[in-house]
Amino acid sequence: MNSGIIELQLWQFSLIYLLLIVVILIMKKCRINQMKLLILASVKMTVQLILSGLILTYIFKNPHPIFVICYLLVMISFSIHRVISKNKGLNRKFKVVIGASVASSGLLVLIFFICAVVGENIFNPQYAIPISGMIMGNTMTGVSLGVKTFRESLDGQKDKINALLCFGASPQKILMPFVRQALETAMLPTLNSMIGMGIVSLPGMMTGQILSGTLPTTAILYQIAIMIAICTAVTGASFGALYFGYKTLFDKKTQII
Amino acid sequence: MDIFSSDSELCFADFINYPEIKIPADSFTFITGKSGCGKSSYLKMLNATVIPSRGIIKYRGTPISEFSILDYRRKVTLVPQKVFLFDGTIRENFDKYYEMRETPAPSDEQIKEFLTICCADFPIDANCTSLSGGEQQRVFLSIFLSCKPDALLLDEPTAALDEKNAHSLFSSLKEFCSQNKITLVCVCHSRELADEFAEYEIRLGENS
Repeated sequence: MNSGIIELQLWQFSLIYLLLIVVILIMKKCRINQMKLLILASVKMTVQLILSGLILTYIFKNPHPIFVICYLLVMISFSIHRVISKNKGLNRKFKVVIGASVASSGLLVLIFFICAVVGENIFNPQYAIPISGMIMGNTMTGVSLGVKTFRESLDGQKDKINALLCFGASPQKILMPFVRQALETAMLPTLNSMIGMGIVSLPGMMTGQILSGTLPTTAILYQIAIMIAICTAVTGASFGALYFGYKTLFDKKTQII
Repeated sequence: MDIFSSDSELCFADFINYPEIKIPADSFTFITGKSGCGKSSYLKMLNATVIPSRGIIKYRGTPISEFSILDYRRKVTLVPQKVFLFDGTIRENFDKYYEMRETPAPSDEQIKEFLTICCADFPIDANCTSLSGGEQQRVFLSIFLSCKPDALLLDEPTAALDEKNAHSLFSSLKEFCSQNKITLVCVCHSRELADEFAEYEIRLGENS
């Protein structure tokens, strides 16, 4: 087995962009007017990844806890910002609850993963940064989906909420089914991806490790661990955001939603 | 004795001003007036699902805000204009509504009685989704009536009914409520129904 990965030559690497021509042709043929988005997405991805590549190289050469902390802070703030900007019209308290849930759930799982399961120092950038990236990325998607589902189902069921409120049901009792349903929606993509894992697709992290020469048996252990970590972080953060967030929608005194 | 009273301070959303209003207990009171004059908002304020921007409403002499709100809403229950029934049978709807209030649901016999009072003589295992709009409205009303509140507030309960049905619904409702000392307050657009059934009438939007 090859002990290391083949370095990509820059000119060879740029060949991969040729594949985008196929995407463009299909878009033209089907008149999908998303050319701008495709170009923007490709450019943004390239630039962002180059930057993070440079930053990571620097951090790995000069490891220092402060770099790891900064990197984590940026990552966490960005994911919170994404969740909130995708869910406009939330009240202030709800936003604070979302932020606190995403940050605390992500960090706790990360610390457990690195310190207890891997047995490494939490400030080792080689572990902390990529693993927190996977955890935060998935948490962001899950919470975003959960909060969106919650908001949309409330909007779509105004008559139900109003009727039950007039009938004298408590806001908790009325909103709890919505919380439950949204939490389920947030968890499902992660659970579904666990079901298909290893049969059709070899997940990204495992593929990366195998390409760079890690034994597949080690790679699968990491993959299993990260999937369970992601599942826990997504569930914990969505639960926190929804369970404490829905309470910001009414006050005890007036009991109006 | 008046069950509800409010003075001319009362204002909703800063622009709907109300005159002094008194609603006698154990009566059938109609609230009439043009669209947008604040009839529905008044019912919602009575049931404390919206809060006046100024002024207070008293329930049997005590300001509404001094009650425990959920208990209060169970005494003064509003049947909203927009009907909501769960997917499922009439029996299941009673169960779900009562479950939301965390109180035991009425028995099959009791449900049948309330359906009859509301001119909704359908089998209790009939599926609500297959009922017409007017039929759903009467089933909806029967759920709210079955709690026997102290006051039942109706927001256009006959909107989806023809005149004949509306007529029989109101007669049987009036009879049941006066026997059980339930105050009825109804927002209604029909002049004929108001003339025939109203013991008191409050006309809004005329002198404000």
